[in-house]
Amino acid sequence: MLTEIITAYNEAVFDTDRDRALEIIHQAVENGISPEDIVFQVVIPAMELMIKSISEDFDANLAQHFMASQIAAQVTDEMVAKFQKSPEIIGTVVIGTSHGDMHTLGKRIVSGCLRSLMIEVVDLGVNVAPEKFVDEALAHNSPIIAISSMMMHTARSELGCTKVREILKERNLEDKIKIVVGGAPYRWDPNLYKTVQADAWAEDGITAGKVIKDLMTGMRK
Amino acid sequence: MTTGMDRLVAAINGEKSDRIPVFCNLLDQGAKELGIATLKEYYSKGEYVAEGQLKMREKYGYDNLWSLFYVGKEAELLGCQKIIYAADGPPNVEDYVIKSYDDIAKLEVPDDIGSCPLFAEELKCLQILKREAGGKYPICAYITASMTLPAILMGMDKWFELLFFGPHEVRDELLTKCCNFFHKEVTAYRNAGADIILYANPFGSTDFVPMKQFHNLSMPWMKKDVEPLGTNDMVYYCGSSRMNNVIDPVFEQLNIKTYYLSPNDDVAAGKKAVANRGLTWGVINDIRLIDWSEDEVRCEVKRIIEAGMAGGKFGFGTLVMPYKIPERNIRVMLETAYEVGRY
Repeated sequence: MLTEIITAYNEAVFDTDRDRALEIIHQAVENGISPEDIVFQVVIPAMELMIKSISEDFDANLAQHFMASQIAAQVTDEMVAKFQKSPEIIGTVVIGTSHGDMHTLGKRIVSGCLRSLMIEVVDLGVNVAPEKFVDEALAHNSPIIAISSMMMHTARSELGCTKVREILKERNLEDKIKIVVGGAPYRWDPNLYKTVQADAWAEDGITAGKVIKDLMTGMRK
Repeated sequence: MTTGMDRLVAAINGEKSDRIPVFCNLLDQGAKELGIATLKEYYSKGEYVAEGQLKMREKYGYDNLWSLFYVGKEAELLGCQKIIYAADGPPNVEDYVIKSYDDIAKLEVPDDIGSCPLFAEELKCLQILKREAGGKYPICAYITASMTLPAILMGMDKWFELLFFGPHEVRDELLTKCCNFFHKEVTAYRNAGADIILYANPFGSTDFVPMKQFHNLSMPWMKKDVEPLGTNDMVYYCGSSRMNNVIDPVFEQLNIKTYYLSPNDDVAAGKKAVANRGLTWGVINDIRLIDWSEDEVRCEVKRIIEAGMAGGKFGFGTLVMPYKIPERNIRVMLETAYEVGRY
């Protein structure tokens, strides 16, 4: 039954039909599926299935990425409120756009995806100063700083990722905090993340969920 | 002497000029060319932008001129008060005109953009370009489609939210205003002498929306945009997003005859899809020009042109031309295009 729900839910998501996706979830709850199972047996596997499909060249588009993350985050928030006990959170990520960058869509897709994967997100907004990324990561005990850039000059800016790296070095934090980057310039140049001295990058907002989760899990070992 | 306009007209007609037309969009680089310290100062005067465009075209020898300052100019015409400037990249909208759905009702489209004070510097730029190079080098205008314009008025994520989640009557009210603005902008640019209208619409690509929504949402608004205006001077452009799989419906339903592909589109497949009905542009991933070696640049230019040149009706073009591209790579790219694209 859960497999059927995952399939129907993902079909609705791929079809960018939020109302149908929510209807499927609500129907499942009515049929006796627990909120915990909805999150851990439907939403997270559905998200992981989408990540897998994208990695295998499924041609998902931006609208589908947006919908998948927003619907998953909405369902997760709704279900977590009904949990018998608070769920275990994998960790916290601070996220923002790089200095000079005002573009919010990528950050929002990543945030929604992470929330559905039980990762807390502290959104620092747009045009974030490099010091702020580090200070907030420390304040929230976040092992990951996620930096989104939509433009080449903001991705490569001296006040962007490279400066965050410099601050982490200066403060001896490189073992404790990793940097993940994403956004259009990184898709056009897959080696750019190395140029700007990030630890990892993700090709799209949904894949970023997996990259960050894997990095976070690896750091805990 | 063969001019850029000669090459373009020959390509449109399926005839052979000395070589294929080569379009290049150097914009911010004009400030450096004129020795102007900041982009803010450069973009403050139409004379500067026109002079930058004319100097760069002459220096590198490509075939077109741009009347575009930066994309955020359109948002300024609709009330944006704050633009963020960088030293080495395009200016951007810093403060959105639409902060709540109430602002959509308040959004006012100027009646006559051509006489709007905020358009004065662009008008000046166009007049200079027309005077100095009119008829010899096509002057390009960049105009954002109604489906895409809201992204610079309210932010892309808020626009996605309104577009997909509604309320639909608010979405349609905004789209109607953006469509009206598009009509007025095209008219103003045409009246001022623009030869080519780059119809910029990433939402016209299935990299942005699923095919179903391309047909149900994007296409009806594209029709509203272009049908009343005529499409002879329009170029279908989806930014960096691919378009090969929509060329057929766009051709059939909008009658746009020129397609400026994405660097991610298969050039030969794009050319085949256009099928001699119009002009195809092969476009380079110019972000890589920052770091590529000269050999890598040559190889890529050669690959693109060889994939599309046979049979004519083909041009070579650039995408965003970041400020950090070294001058030598700009030259290598263009010289290779001139050489490989020779008939």
